[in-house]
Amino acid sequence: MGAEIAIEEINAKGGVLGEPLKLIQYDDTGAPPRGVDNTRRIAFADKCVAILGGYHSTVSVAQAEPVNAIGIPFVGVLAANTKAIENGRSPNYMFRVSAKDKWVARFLVEKAMAQSKTGKVAFFYENTGWGNGALPDVQAAMKAAGKELVATETFNWNDQDMTPQAIRARDAGADVVLFWALDREGNQILRSMDKVGYKPTIIGAWGIAGNLGELAGPLANGVQVVQTYTFMGEMDPKKKALWDKISAKYGLKNPQDIKMSSGVGNAYDAVYIIAQAIEKAGAYDWAKVREALYQVKLEGLVANYDPAFDASDPERQDAILPKYYKLTAWQDGKLLPIEQTPYGKTN
Amino acid sequence: MTTVLQYTLSGLAIGGVYALVALGFHIMWSTAKAVNFAHGDTLMIGAVLAVLGVDAGMPVWLACSLSILAGAVFGVALERIAVRPFTAEANSIGWMLATIAIGIMAESLATMQFGGFSRALPSPGVDRPISVFGAGVYPQELLIPAVAVLLTLGLGLAQKRTLVGRAMRAVAHDKRAAALMGINVNRIVALSFGIAAVLGAGAGVLVAPVIQASATMGVLIGLKGFAVAIIGGITSAPGVLVAGLAFGVLEKFVEGYISTAAREIVAFGVMIAVLLAFPQGLFGKRETVKV
Repeated sequence: MGAEIAIEEINAKGGVLGEPLKLIQYDDTGAPPRGVDNTRRIAFADKCVAILGGYHSTVSVAQAEPVNAIGIPFVGVLAANTKAIENGRSPNYMFRVSAKDKWVARFLVEKAMAQSKTGKVAFFYENTGWGNGALPDVQAAMKAAGKELVATETFNWNDQDMTPQAIRARDAGADVVLFWALDREGNQILRSMDKVGYKPTIIGAWGIAGNLGELAGPLANGVQVVQTYTFMGEMDPKKKALWDKISAKYGLKNPQDIKMSSGVGNAYDAVYIIAQAIEKAGAYDWAKVREALYQVKLEGLVANYDPAFDASDPERQDAILPKYYKLTAWQDGKLLPIEQTPYGKTN
Repeated sequence: MTTVLQYTLSGLAIGGVYALVALGFHIMWSTAKAVNFAHGDTLMIGAVLAVLGVDAGMPVWLACSLSILAGAVFGVALERIAVRPFTAEANSIGWMLATIAIGIMAESLATMQFGGFSRALPSPGVDRPISVFGAGVYPQELLIPAVAVLLTLGLGLAQKRTLVGRAMRAVAHDKRAAALMGINVNRIVALSFGIAAVLGAGAGVLVAPVIQASATMGVLIGLKGFAVAIIGGITSAPGVLVAGLAFGVLEKFVEGYISTAAREIVAFGVMIAVLLAFPQGLFGKRETVKV
């Protein structure tokens, strides 16, 4: 959505270097081989100038290899796995306009420390590339804060009951629990905690920003989620204008109907960053555009990119700095900016 | 002590689901000597259609009834197009492939229509947990194994006391002899697939409030239900029930005292060990094939 609207806006003003931009979409279905295949097709058959990366971390990690072999700029807009972008290659063609697990981990641990009374924090993560990739990041962030996790609990997709994990975390005395989970499993953890009478403060990465409020009902109230962008709550004029365009184009009535607002905001900014890079490069050329990405300066929706990327720092292949991460909280089925909920006061 | 009780209750809830699915396998096997490997997807259809019905503004009871009915139609139709054409020939495995294929098709179709997100089915059974000697459990979760037990008892009675039940046993024993006795074999087999599908879709409606409805919910439950049916001895309904409940409790204890990641390894390892020691399953009767 975000990418399509940004492209329409740019094309309405005459495109980039006199040519309109075009978006070609492929579905990786969450399968890494499909993502790799798509990468080659985008580069060689469709001859695109850049790739926008998708939802699944495992796919992005697999794409790092062909992207750098081919040398086509890749700008991820969702998947947050640290190693997908920080892959140790130079020159590195993998960029990201999204959250990064390493920074999200630090951000969440910082929030957890601020809210925990006992300093005891537990970590629940899904047994996938995303969850396992985040474990060392969270452990490192805890260490930096001078603490250790009192419980690390894992679970599989589609697990129906997490009471054993909830009991262990409860008995370890954790009063804050960090989640690296998706909505479905996040809901099962909440319900299991409810069953064993365990009510810690919960702060999660954005896998639980989809429909947790609908699944878990009142149990989700007060669960905090990190985001880069949200349409919920009060809108400033810029946000309002984008929302009006989205609601007209996709027939949405309520900002709640946008399932992954961070992705929309990130993709919107990513397209503008790429467009500016093409302009600075003066050509639709992969290597020149990659160079130019480091010079992009942009007042974006999600962040003020100044500059978007930094060639001298391998960590800065990521455009959105942690200071732009936002904490949101579930309240009666809606995921609102935390300042606009009753839970904002505890911060 | 509370922890042990908690694991047992949670395990019984999950085990009840396995048992309900396994009972369906038992019914199909004991009449047709074939099963529907898309049975897990019958459960998914029951749950997903119930949620869609509620979306469309139906009262919950109506949406659930209709979705169970739709599940039954699915079971009967599947028997007609994917099982019957292949079982006429002895030792055919065509029905295995055909039913697995239909299961994958059903799942893909559901993903297209239903989307990738899980959805909740409202039920008063999950509003708040009740405490049993300090262990928390949703009433809905206790309902599942209770239904499984009642159905097993009812099934046993029906097979012994009713004409249809006796006909089903006769067909299972010898199709040709049953046909000579004036039993419409095709109709009885179709009926058994229909009954199994009602159990499957009913299980879907029962578990949806607890585990949420999604297009992919059926696969693992279907596989575990089949594993449970084999462990318990697919020819014995009480055996299947006991194995299902025990399997669920075993899983919880492995999760609780070893780790969640070890669950599938230990559970399926136990399955293989049981089969090595008891090739007919724990409670199954040896099936002698007369030539």
